[in-house]
Amino acid sequence: MCGIIGYNGFRDANNVLVDCLKRLEYRGYDSAGIAILNNDLQVFKETGYISKLEEELKFNNEIKGSIGIGHTRWATHGRVTKTNAHPHISSNKKIAVVHNGIIENFKQLKEYLMNKGYTFSSETDSEVLSHLIEDNYNGNLQDAVYNAMKKVNGYYAIVVMSKDEPNVLVGTRKDSPLVIGSGDNENFIASDITALLKYTNRVIYLNDAESVVITNKNISLYDSDNKPINREETLISWDIADAEKSGFPHFMLKEIYEQDQTVHQVTRGRLSEIDRTINFDEIVENLLVHDYDNIQIIACGTSYYAGLMGKYFFESFAKIPVFVDLASEYRYYGSFNEKSLVIAVTQSGETLDTLAALKKAKSIGCKTLVITNVIGSSATRISDGTILTQSGPEIGVAATKTFTAQVLVLLLLSLKLGKMKRYIGTDDLFQYIIQMKQLPIHVKYILDHNKQIKEIAEILRNARSVFFIGRGINFPLCLEGALKLKEISYIHAEGFAAGELKHGPFALLTKDTPVIAISSKDVTYEKIISNIGEIKARGPQVIAISEEQDTEIEKYADFVLRYPSDTGVLSFIPIIIILQLLAYYVADLKGCSIDKPRNLAKSVTVE
Amino acid sequence: MSTCLILAAGEGKRMHPLTYTRPKVMLPIANKPILEWNLINAMKSGITDFIFIVGYKSEMVRNYFQDGSNWDVSIEYINQGKPLGTGHAISVVEPFIEKDFLILSGDTFLGSLDIQNVRKQSMSMGLCTVDHPEEYGIVKTENDAVVKIFEKMNEPFSNLINAGIYHFQKEIFPFLKQIKLSKRGEYELTDAINLVAKEMKINAVLVNQWRDIGYPWDLLEANREIVTDINPIREGLIEKFATIHGAVSIGKNTRVMNGSYIEGPVVIGENCKIGPNCYIRPYTSIGDGCHIGAASEIKNSVIMNHTNIPHHNYIGDSIIGQGCNLGSGTKVANLRLDKKNVVVTHGNKKIDTKRRKLGVIMGDNVQTGINASLNVGSIIGNDVFIGPGTIVDGLIRPHTHIY
Repeated sequence: MCGIIGYNGFRDANNVLVDCLKRLEYRGYDSAGIAILNNDLQVFKETGYISKLEEELKFNNEIKGSIGIGHTRWATHGRVTKTNAHPHISSNKKIAVVHNGIIENFKQLKEYLMNKGYTFSSETDSEVLSHLIEDNYNGNLQDAVYNAMKKVNGYYAIVVMSKDEPNVLVGTRKDSPLVIGSGDNENFIASDITALLKYTNRVIYLNDAESVVITNKNISLYDSDNKPINREETLISWDIADAEKSGFPHFMLKEIYEQDQTVHQVTRGRLSEIDRTINFDEIVENLLVHDYDNIQIIACGTSYYAGLMGKYFFESFAKIPVFVDLASEYRYYGSFNEKSLVIAVTQSGETLDTLAALKKAKSIGCKTLVITNVIGSSATRISDGTILTQSGPEIGVAATKTFTAQVLVLLLLSLKLGKMKRYIGTDDLFQYIIQMKQLPIHVKYILDHNKQIKEIAEILRNARSVFFIGRGINFPLCLEGALKLKEISYIHAEGFAAGELKHGPFALLTKDTPVIAISSKDVTYEKIISNIGEIKARGPQVIAISEEQDTEIEKYADFVLRYPSDTGVLSFIPIIIILQLLAYYVADLKGCSIDKPRNLAKSVTVE
Repeated sequence: MSTCLILAAGEGKRMHPLTYTRPKVMLPIANKPILEWNLINAMKSGITDFIFIVGYKSEMVRNYFQDGSNWDVSIEYINQGKPLGTGHAISVVEPFIEKDFLILSGDTFLGSLDIQNVRKQSMSMGLCTVDHPEEYGIVKTENDAVVKIFEKMNEPFSNLINAGIYHFQKEIFPFLKQIKLSKRGEYELTDAINLVAKEMKINAVLVNQWRDIGYPWDLLEANREIVTDINPIREGLIEKFATIHGAVSIGKNTRVMNGSYIEGPVVIGENCKIGPNCYIRPYTSIGDGCHIGAASEIKNSVIMNHTNIPHHNYIGDSIIGQGCNLGSGTKVANLRLDKKNVVVTHGNKKIDTKRRKLGVIMGDNVQTGINASLNVGSIIGNDVFIGPGTIVDGLIRPHTHIY
């Protein structure tokens, strides 16, 4: 995820761009840059936070101009360097581009352009756009952008400007966000309304494949066939504080709703439908080649539950034993074996216990791999290899989208390993790839049909204790669902493997303890139905989470929450979203401090 | 051609709860926003080109004034952007200024004659005298020229203060670029003026009519002044047995029903239903679409648009927001039993309003039940529900339901 901004008006563009970029910093903050158009095209880039770029610009009196573009980066292609930071400039030094998204066919495009004599300076996919637009330039920037983007496969939101047309900015998008801000004697294009809300609260939304040309006075929209269209302005009534949450009342809900993109983000650049492969970077792939006795997954909190899910994946797809340990236990009591692959899962990459466990594993001589959301974090520097979850910063203390991303990464990794060990064939892999490609639709479905979840939340809000039961892969989901509920709504909640109820927990079950039963149609379906029967006999209300085509379940459970049937092995994603929404709505009904639960911190860097 | 710049970006936090739902410059006085009075007064001095610097809830300003054609003037809007102080707000406008320009604060009242006097000099600044200068910028002058402005001194050497109106030439912009952030973290226009004063002559012009609106109850004084000056126009229908004394304006489609007794100066907007049998006392403004019903009495108050005070109500020395509906028998107390000054809880502190009589300050869309009693100096937020028979006192936050 990256943030982009374009400004065309009367103010000093450098100040406006930096100011807007700061509001987009949540979209990424490993490097930033701006380009200003006056008689010359001036470009300034820095690695690190936007404040560093701001410092740099402060002492530069040469900058002048009231039209410009800016970018804040969260690296996906190419390392975090000044050269790889945007804006990217065309070979003739006339066109500047900022890009958010991914160019899937950039290798082919790069080759094509290099053959035509264009010279590349960065390692990014985005740079092809500047040269490609130059290649298509024929006196009209808007046409050049339109023609260039027809050749591009992938996801993008871009803003472009050219020295030859010093009064206009051109923007276009596909699958990445872009919004136009309509101001007084000034106009904006940005990844997000937050960026421009200080300057105007009138926006125009841009749809996929549409493009826009802005001057300081006018905004002209074009449809996907490059024909002019008109669209009304929308007045935004939220203030800046709300805006960072994009109109959602809490960051947590915003982040839950971002999960249709999470799948996209985790798989981008890693899944290839065409050659039916899963690819990680070279270092990670080299790590997988070794012959390991077992895999040890170490993590804390939500990441630990992601690890437990990973155990199911690795054991079933790659037939390798997996031990999942809490980092705080492992570092003191772990059974160390130098022939283990140690995978640390940590959102922040700064969790103290996990770092200590990683160091311990390294000192034994284990190969280490870290799954994290934060590039350049301590964990990435300690471990042998890193896989980024690429989900953008998460602000709500309760992890939501990063959990989904972690589980997906573990799934991809287990499939990759299974394929390398030849337990999975190309066709099987292809089936999983197809399922993953369809996932965003299923996620969207759950998010759009949340009315019933709210009704169930009403039932749970007054409960003193809630049980979550499930079998197989649904067991760690129960643990995670219970954790979500307890950490934000302060209701006591426990997740159990359904078969374990009768070995103790039943003693706690009263008619006032609602039970949430995840019942997937797999080999244990009959068992979970009989567990529900045992529970009902003791009086509690049972809320089942079942697939849509399961008509059986209504006979046993009091309420049923549904997820789409054709999700296969990926059913855990719609289920986790149901559990997250449930916890959210309960906490909201109870008026809890959702983004900052009592006594909890986002990243635990102490013992 | 000279341009008039009006600073209209502020939220006016001290004017809460009235400014939760509108920018400070859109607060109505005698049924016109403060900003409109400034516009009208500036027009009288011959200015036709205006730039409004907007920010907080700018759409309300823009929707009301549009391009200015209703006033036969041209209005440009500039969004303040980052709220970095008056110095910054004015420096942003540089590309739009041709030659000279007048600067007014949209929320301070000035007479049109004063505006003319300031405009006559090529570089000038309005000054006025006040009783409590320590809250303002104290100005040191020498032979009619401004020497320096001192911000908020504890022991002021004079009671001559900065009235917030200036006339400048384009030459002052370079000075605006030189100023540094002040102690309170803003770029202050007054810092730039101090720099200018060292190199050029800034004429000190004394202004006579000046009113600063700091707190909600200041609106009552401003309203009193303006309704007193208004030439009454009666466009509505007045029934035969209604009594009207003094200067009373009555807007289009307003009906004043029998038995109503109105003592001017009073301003009543359009489409109102007044009476039957109500008593409206001097210095009251009633907005558009209001209903003042039987056995209701209103005195020295500002009632905003679409508010109903329909049966058995007493409202004295109060400001009632837009869209409020008072239940039958809801009454306001406006005088302490011990006759001392009314002290209000405003924000986090208690403030002596220096007024012996003050009713309530009520935000927009407040609903009260029957026989609710509102005590002196109550500050009631917007969208508050007050149940029947409730006694209200002190500060009520917006969206509260009290029973």
